[in-house]
This record gives sequence, structure tokens and C-alpha cells, in this order.
Amino acid sequence: MAPALEARGLVKDFPVGLRGVRLRAVDHLDLTVRAGVIYGLLGPNGSGKSTTIKALLGLVLPSAGECRIFGRPSGEVAARRDVGYLPEAPYFYRHLTGRELVGFYGRLCGLGRRELAGRVETVVAQVGMTAAADRAVETYSKGMLQRIGLAQALVHDPRLLILDEPTAGVDPVGSAAMADLIRGLRDAGKTVLLTSHLLGQMEALCDRVAILAGGRLVAEGTVADLAGGTGRQQLEVDRLDEAQVTELRAWLAARGRGLHGVAAAGRGLDAVFLERVGRGKGEGTEA
Amino acid sequence: MNGAPFSFLRLGLVAQNTLREAVRQRLLHLFVGLALALVLGARGLQDFNFGAPELKFIADCGFGAMTLFGSTLTIAATAQLFFSEIENRTALTLLAKPVWRAEFLLGKLVGVALLTALFCALLTGLLAAVLWVREGELMALDPEGFRGGRAVSYAMVALGGWLQWLRLVVLAAFTLLVASFARTQVFAVVCGFGVLVICHLQHLAQEAYTRAGSAVGAALGGLFGGMFPNFQMLSLADSLAAADLPAPGTWLRLTAYGLGWALAAGLLAILSFRRREI
Repeated sequence: MAPALEARGLVKDFPVGLRGVRLRAVDHLDLTVRAGVIYGLLGPNGSGKSTTIKALLGLVLPSAGECRIFGRPSGEVAARRDVGYLPEAPYFYRHLTGRELVGFYGRLCGLGRRELAGRVETVVAQVGMTAAADRAVETYSKGMLQRIGLAQALVHDPRLLILDEPTAGVDPVGSAAMADLIRGLRDAGKTVLLTSHLLGQMEALCDRVAILAGGRLVAEGTVADLAGGTGRQQLEVDRLDEAQVTELRAWLAARGRGLHGVAAAGRGLDAVFLERVGRGKGEGTEA
Repeated sequence: MNGAPFSFLRLGLVAQNTLREAVRQRLLHLFVGLALALVLGARGLQDFNFGAPELKFIADCGFGAMTLFGSTLTIAATAQLFFSEIENRTALTLLAKPVWRAEFLLGKLVGVALLTALFCALLTGLLAAVLWVREGELMALDPEGFRGGRAVSYAMVALGGWLQWLRLVVLAAFTLLVASFARTQVFAVVCGFGVLVICHLQHLAQEAYTRAGSAVGAALGGLFGGMFPNFQMLSLADSLAAADLPAPGTWLRLTAYGLGWALAAGLLAILSFRRREI
């Protein structure tokens, strides 16, 4: 079976100014995303993530190399039938309602009128936007735009989803709901390519990640491969007093092991926020 | 095989969306309002008729409003509707769907063509109504002068509106051609007005070059003539009489001339837009 996404020797140069100077945004990138995983694309600003995504979608022409979607060259229009795309900070036609917007993109993807109505209802409900679906998009907040954007990406039931910063500008409740939704998509057999600067969220969500810097791939593998491998473990125990800690340290030393840190285990602000606000009570979120 | 043939349905969807977006623009409301005011107020401007018969003056005022405000509206709307897609990155979402760039671009052109069709139909209808009412009043005042019945050919008025629309479609296609490679909206608008001036005046330049007998001038005139349509071809004769109404063959030839130029500019725009980075 062909990988969901493939880039081979991808290079993208942009001309800068009138003197023919070229800025290399992506530098000989090889990437394979197999089907059915959540794949994270990480990197600082300007590392080439968005350009890579555009090249994978056939929106920019590679200077060298090639990109394929499920084995088809990504420059082919038909290759995009299998892809749903949510751009970074999406902006949609302000005059349409959420429902009309999703319907518009659904029809562009070739859905017939009868099939379309059902699909629109399904995906609008899936992203928790049913109550706001008949409001004009211009009245939506950032978080709602992200969610209606995800609905338009899902409307034609694609096998591959490319989500560029899907939780940017979304509150923690919405962000957690988005993470649940992405996991659900993976469990339903979809492939998800994801970019985000929220490394904690990426670590919790992704099966594999690639890290880009200066347009080059600097690391690639499973989260466990990349983030693990320190040869250490974390144990969570009931609170120990000073004497007990000293005793434990001695016990470990006797076995050739060291105690490298002692800290109070917190629940984390995310957990407190979600507990107090409630998962279903974020902005515009439907329980 | 690409497996996703060109679709007129998708083109129509883009056009429909473009039109919906366009009719909400305040700029459109302003130009339509000004044009309507000029047509309705034509009777009040009779003191400036420079000796032309009253009904002819009203018609000239109406067609003049269509040319002035229609051209401005067409250039501004085409550039605005194209660049809003690029700058707001809605084109990114749209072209990430199984949509050909040609469908997107021609959809934009058809959307603007529908907008200008509404504009021309509205103004032509209003102009015809103003002429009809005034002609009726004049007939009551001077029955002898209208012994042969109504003097204005309303088919001629309709043809005037049709030719005006053809000119605006050609103008929209040329503006879109410039926008397809331009980096800024201002550049596309300025070039759009440049095209408008060239298309309106090139016949005068060609006549002047021919009279002067200059080979270089004639070559220049020929070059412009080959690159830009002659809007003088798409103008009414200086009469509204039924006797001067062109034969249907002429209507068709003029339609083919206008739409042919629009199609040629549209195809060049597609070629130029094919490799544009979104």
C-alpha cells in the first residue's frame, strides 16, 4: 500500500529581490507518512513547515524533488480528492454561514446535493458547531473558525487530513476537544499530518514526528524514540519527608543507581482548567 | 491521465460565490447609486445638451454613466475579488480541494461578468424607462412631431446595453490577466485603466499614424491593434432610430468579437496563473 504522503529530495527555493538571489525554504527533504498515523511536523518559525505542506498539496511547485499523495503526484488535481486541509489561521468567505461554507467546499469536492446535506450535518456536529452553523462566518471567533475549518476539511470524508496549527488561538477546552477529535480520526483509520508549536500536545497526540530546522530534516521517528532514551525513569509516590528521601537515596546508591531529582507532582494547569471550566463548556463548544 | 476532468459545475460554484461576495461590496453600491442618479437626473441636465435632441441627450447620459461607472466598477471589482482570495488565503483552502486553477480563474471571470450583466441590465432597463416616459410626454406636447409613432428604437437601447456589457467583460478579462501575475492590487487597477484607455483610443492613434504616413507609427498602431481590442467596434451608431438598427448578423459578429477577446485574455490569464505560488 502506498504511503499517505511522500516527499523525495524536496527542494523549494524562493527568489528574493531583483538580483536573482534565492532563499532555500526546504532543503532536500525526504519524508514518508504511512497511512493510519498521526504524524507531527515540528520546527521553529521559518523552518519550512508551511512550504512543505504547500508542496505536498501541490500549491507550490518544487524546485527539485517530488511529492506524492497515496502514490499520486501531488500536482495532480485528482490527488487532492483524498485530502482535507485546514490552513494556519484560516480565513473564510465572511458572507456565508458556517453551514453554507461547509456545503460550498463539499460541492467543490464533488458531493451531490442529497449526500451533501447529510455530510454537512455530520461534520458540523462532529466539530461541535451545530448551534452556530447558521450564523455568518464573520461573527465567528478564532476558535470557531478553526472548528468550521476542520469541518470543511472533513466534509468529503478524505483519507488524509493536513492540519496546520489547528489549535492556534483556541482555548484550552477547545484545544482538548480538538485533540480528542484528531485521535478519533486516527482511530477511524484516517491519516493526520499535524503542525503545532504546542510540543506537549504534539507529544501526547503524535505517533511519529519530524523536526525541521532551516528547511532540513534534523530528526524523525516515534515520540518514544526521540523523547525517550535517557536511561531514566520517573516514579510517582506518596509524599516522602526529608529523612525518607535520604533513606531512598542511600537504598538506590547501594544498588548503583542515583536519585536525580525530587519534586512535588502537580496536576498541571491544563488539568485544573479543564476540571474547573468543564470539557464541554468552552467557547461555543457543544456538550 | 489526471482523473479529474475540468468541471463547469465547480467553475459555476466559484462564479456564484464570487457574485455573492461582489454584491455585498460597498464600492458596488456606490457606483450603482451614482450611475442610477445620473440616468434618473439626465432630464435635469438638459441645459448642457450642446444642441442635441433631448431624447438623444438622455440616452447619451445613460450610456455615458454605464461606461464611466461600469468600467471603474469592473476594474475595481475584478482586482479586489481576485486579490482578496490571495491575500486572505481563501484561495489556499479552495485550491487544496480537487479544483483546477483554470476553474478558479474562469469562475472569478464569470462571477464578474454576471455582476456587470446585472449592472448593465439594471441601467439599461432604467434608461429605457426614462426614455419611454419622456418620449410619451413629448408625444403629448407635440403630436405632430411624432406622427410616425415613437422615435426611439428600444431594441437599439437594448443593443447599447449589450455592447456595453461586452466591453466590460473584455475589460474584466484583461484586468484578471494582469492580476494573475501582479503582486499588488494597485498595479492591477492601474493597468486595468491603462487597458481601458488604449482600447478606447487606439482607433484614433491608428488613424493619426496612417494620416502621418509614418512607418514606425503604423507599426506601433498595428502592434496595439493586435494586442488590444478596439472598443470603438463595440459602440452604437450615433442614432437611436429603428432604421439604424444593425442586422442580427452584425449583433452576432460584435458578440463574437467581444467574447473572443475576453476568452483570449482569460486563457492567457490561466497560463500565467498556472505556476503562481499561492
